[in-house]
Amino acid sequence: MLASILASGLAVGAVYALIGITYNTMFSTSRVMSFTAGQLGMLGGVLGSLFILRLGLPMPVGLLATLACCALLGVVTEVVAVRPVLKSLDQHLYVLSTLAVALLIQHATALEWSTEPQPFPRLAGIGTGVWDEKYWLPVVACAATILGLEYLYRYTLVGRAFVAIAEDNFAARALGLPERNLRMASYALAGAVGALAGFAGGQLLLAFFANGPLLNFYGFIPVALGGLGNNRGAVIGGLLLGLFQQAANFMVGGIFSSVAVFTLFIIVLLARPQGMFGAPAARRV
Amino acid sequence: MPITRRGLGLAAAATGLAMPAIAQNEPIKIGWLAAMTGPSSAPAIGFNRGVMYAAEAINAAGGVKGRKVEIITRDTQGDPTKAVNATQEMISQLRVHAIWGPTNSGESLAVTAIMARAKMPNIHPCVVDSLIDPAKYPNAFRIAPSNTQWDDAVRGYTLNIAKAKKVAVIGDTTGYGVTAANASAAAFQKDGAEVVTKANIDATQPDMTPDMLRARNAGAQAIVIWSVSTGMIARLLNTRAAMGWDVPFIGHPSLASGEIGTLIDKPANWEKVYAIGYKSCSYDASGKLPPRNEELMQRMQGKVNLHDTLLWWVACGIDAVELVAKAVEATGATANQSIIGHWNSLKQYPGYFGEYSFTAQDHNGYPVSDVVMSAASTGKNGTFALAPGYG
Repeated sequence: MLASILASGLAVGAVYALIGITYNTMFSTSRVMSFTAGQLGMLGGVLGSLFILRLGLPMPVGLLATLACCALLGVVTEVVAVRPVLKSLDQHLYVLSTLAVALLIQHATALEWSTEPQPFPRLAGIGTGVWDEKYWLPVVACAATILGLEYLYRYTLVGRAFVAIAEDNFAARALGLPERNLRMASYALAGAVGALAGFAGGQLLLAFFANGPLLNFYGFIPVALGGLGNNRGAVIGGLLLGLFQQAANFMVGGIFSSVAVFTLFIIVLLARPQGMFGAPAARRV
Repeated sequence: MPITRRGLGLAAAATGLAMPAIAQNEPIKIGWLAAMTGPSSAPAIGFNRGVMYAAEAINAAGGVKGRKVEIITRDTQGDPTKAVNATQEMISQLRVHAIWGPTNSGESLAVTAIMARAKMPNIHPCVVDSLIDPAKYPNAFRIAPSNTQWDDAVRGYTLNIAKAKKVAVIGDTTGYGVTAANASAAAFQKDGAEVVTKANIDATQPDMTPDMLRARNAGAQAIVIWSVSTGMIARLLNTRAAMGWDVPFIGHPSLASGEIGTLIDKPANWEKVYAIGYKSCSYDASGKLPPRNEELMQRMQGKVNLHDTLLWWVACGIDAVELVAKAVEATGATANQSIIGHWNSLKQYPGYFGEYSFTAQDHNGYPVSDVVMSAASTGKNGTFALAPGYG
């Protein structure tokens, strides 16, 4: 029984963590919390089902096609919803513009795909019970993503350029870094990470247009718990959230588990407003 | 020609004399509030096939005392606002003689009072109990079960046939899911059963393992489901199979939705699942429907597509049109009070969906004994096999 709850909690938590990383990746280069993150996760499931089940593509091709489509959508988001409002970040117009794009994605999916959940294929066909692939695939995807991002940010030129933009946008531009292109690249990367969340968790989430708001919501909590922009914090926050949520589902069930999750969330933020792994922002005076 | 008082009087008299003759030939206008498009369109599409079939059959046989039946459809798209507008149009401009629909409770809640003010004869199949109240809405009649009747049928099967005394009641987090689960749990407790868990689960919750573990640990002998979410139901069924648990699932008609078949990991996961169904549209061990509907199926063959809908929707649509036609035939009038008065006198009227009985005090016409449980995975041409345990 404990194993079942652990497997379920880690799997769901890994999906939330990946959505948290999606938020962070977009935030790092633009200082914008883009509310399209959950919809990218939803599309990961829907497009995966479309390419593999409906169009009959092999799994690796379906995965690549899904990641590519969502990366493209990430770029479109940057162009239509983020770039126009960057000059007035203090007015928080990005909340409206990214929410509008998120709604567009959701409604378009409902119209063109289905308003009912659709099946998602088994990918590797490995494992049963608590070792079923639907439980370990999201965890593996999450681990691969965090390792890949660590490698990117530490050992590649492009990754270091991302970090430079995230650290100090103006200084990075002054040094001649192509800020706009890097921002677009980070949105494409975020699109792929979001899609991977939905694809790896597709057997749990199914290909359902209404998954977007759920992922938006629960994907934001790891960001707040782990500290804005902190991917390692998001992973730990996401996994803890998943475990706590599934334990609460077992202990108190249904609606009350959501109450428990958000009560804990508020308590953590009251104790550490910058998140568990975030540092208070320093301001030069 | 100069207009004189005598001339006017003669003209008025002539018009007055002519009016009954016009009424005798005027078609019987039935307004049909149908959510033909939108997310809840599946039932209306099925009902519509029955409505059109019945109207064509009546008209082909010469109509009702020479009067044709005219169906005036308005697509409400499942939107209560559009349903209100269409109702106003039907009452004020189209001047229909009776209205069939709407076919979902949300719309019906919005239009019932409007129809009552206009004393418009109205038949609908919506389940919310408060939609039927002969004192407030003497014009409104229900020809399908109410929520309470569904609840009674599920509880009866669970306690008396499945012999489960400890139940887990699960609903989704919609308004319907919460109220239905609460009512169901309260009724089970009233009947002496033990509700070991009651939960409302978000339909998009990715994994149901903790909820099912909770129910099993509490000793549930049956899981009672009140949700229209096929995704949630399929996840629960897959989890049950993964746990190696054979507890029966009993409840809402959505348990038998074709969508479930596409979402479960393997067909066996859909066994021991019993959804609300109807005697008239359930086949027995030999694969036969009740004789009246077996004959209807023969007649509809090649004319009405039943592969992607449910027989009860089609049969109910036929009954609605025929109930209006029979009222006009019996009373010879299309006046509101004539139609309503006739319906109030019906006793075991033999419809295709059920035998309806109404009185001035009770407008829930569907007999609770006709609500049965179906084996959810046995769908065939819109009909289902009876769940095990029925004689």
